[in-house]
Amino acid sequence: MATAAVARIAEVSAPVQASLWSDAWRRLRRNRLALMASIYLVLLVGVAILAIFYTPYRMSATGLAPDYAGPSLAHWLGVDNLGRDQLSRIMIGSQISLIVGVGTQILVLAVGVPIGLLAGYYRGWLDSVVTFIINVFYGIPDLLVALILVFLLGPSLANIIIAIVVTRWMDMARLVRGQTLALREREFVEAGRASGAKPIKMLFGHIMPNALGPIIVQATFGVPSAILFEAFLSFLGAGVQAPTPSWGSMAKDGVDAIQFAPHMVIAPSIALSLTLMAFNFLGDGLRDALDPRSRR
Amino acid sequence: MFTRGTLIYIGQRVVLIAFTVLAVSSIVFLGIHRLPGDALFNEHLHGDQYALLLHHYNLDKPLLIQYRDFVVAVVTRGDLGESLVNRGVKITPLVLRELGVSVEVGGFALVFTIGLGMLFGVVAAIRQNTWVDYVLSATSVIGYSVPNFVLGSILILVFAKWLETVTNGSFFYVLGGWTGGIGQLWLPAFALGFPYASIVARLTRASMLEVIRQDYIRTARAKGLRETVVVARHALRNALIPVITILGPLVIGIITGSVVIENLFGIPGLGKEFAQSIQNRDYFIVIGVFTMYAALVGIANLAVDLTYVIIDPRIRY
Repeated sequence: MATAAVARIAEVSAPVQASLWSDAWRRLRRNRLALMASIYLVLLVGVAILAIFYTPYRMSATGLAPDYAGPSLAHWLGVDNLGRDQLSRIMIGSQISLIVGVGTQILVLAVGVPIGLLAGYYRGWLDSVVTFIINVFYGIPDLLVALILVFLLGPSLANIIIAIVVTRWMDMARLVRGQTLALREREFVEAGRASGAKPIKMLFGHIMPNALGPIIVQATFGVPSAILFEAFLSFLGAGVQAPTPSWGSMAKDGVDAIQFAPHMVIAPSIALSLTLMAFNFLGDGLRDALDPRSRR
Repeated sequence: MFTRGTLIYIGQRVVLIAFTVLAVSSIVFLGIHRLPGDALFNEHLHGDQYALLLHHYNLDKPLLIQYRDFVVAVVTRGDLGESLVNRGVKITPLVLRELGVSVEVGGFALVFTIGLGMLFGVVAAIRQNTWVDYVLSATSVIGYSVPNFVLGSILILVFAKWLETVTNGSFFYVLGGWTGGIGQLWLPAFALGFPYASIVARLTRASMLEVIRQDYIRTARAKGLRETVVVARHALRNALIPVITILGPLVIGIITGSVVIENLFGIPGLGKEFAQSIQNRDYFIVIGVFTMYAALVGIANLAVDLTYVIIDPRIRY
């Protein structure tokens, strides 16, 4: 009996193993805004996947109702200047936004993380060159360069993603460089080096995992900025090509008809704003969860 | 404030800007000439006419000669050439006039950004954790999540459509040029500046909260100074130092955003010309506009760096 009681006491009083990630997950769940944002984003992804198989109407079908007709039972969000169903187009647009947002961040990770790791770890001339390039890129107006790039490469989804990555990779590189500079002085790096770990193992096996929190936060904030960027490009007529809709190009069509068909600009604007807000709230939540010290 | 060293520094920067501008316009010049398609492809020309026009635009020479002539014209006469679409329209005076319009809009937007941003930030900080703070903080998240063209569309809807009888549409129609008048720029400047105001507000709030707990603020209060004086003269001054570090990206952001806003509101500035000339394939104007933007960005960055000297006396060049 006694041994069982002791065992139970030991069980109760043993510290529950709480890793950084489970801690962060607990904090994130408690953040109501971030939770609501996550639910919205899950729904959005659901809509984007649904749109692969089903939209109420074909997104390019014209003349479904009189041009510019407002919301009705048949067309919940009305139709656009060519009589195309707005709801179907918003659904397809969600795919474009998500592909651009997530796609650019995957490429930004692939470009920015290695550059930042190498510059921060080896320092010296490599770091000077990288820092110089980063500063040059910060000094140029990204949207204009992206516009010219899309213009030179030709407007397609892939080229838009490339243009955004070319003009926005520096945020990640700078962050990872800074993290690496701080981490490389820590004991575990010294220990790893002393035990003969290869540089590539040091960088990706030891330093990067320790910088993963800030990297995730940065990537989360990168998604809405890429989505916004694509919307800007589409708004200026350098986005994905018709008839494929993007929220930005829909808003542009809507602005042209703003005086007599305001539903055309309102629907994509709300979709875009909600999505950007959700990603920003999620990013705020992740930052607070993964790095409690930086809490505002 | 501006020592001799500073003046030399400014001189160096100006030379650097000139070289950057030349480099940017060269890259665009050479890049654009590699595009497929004919520069005069919109027109149905034949025989002599076509050859004459090619000669008129200096397009009948090898690319390197064209480039040399372009650089010589720019450097010696500041001549950016002639529009490919609107024959006879000289580009330099055109883009200079448009630059003026853009600077006017952007400057006005910057007033909104810094003014509103600081005001929101300070009020949120001194009313920390009250409903005022929460409302302002929520507004600022919404502010930087809502794209400027969405904000602009809402403003157009409200002021030019739903309240049209009240405003008489006068908020919306911009006549252009320096004569356009500040009165018509309220809405575009607000739409352009507000998203960045949110960022300024967040930063100001954070650094105000840090500063306001420091001993010298307590001393100022203990001396019996009024709260407004403590906040405005003692706290804000130091709270602004972290804020000015984002002035550079801020100005770049406003220049970038102005492209969108000008197209939305139909303001005849550089941004509208840029989008239009790209669509029209008016390549020489594209080059001209890009050259102006490069100069504008260079000068704006220099101005920002000089502001640091004025606000923070510890910085010297």
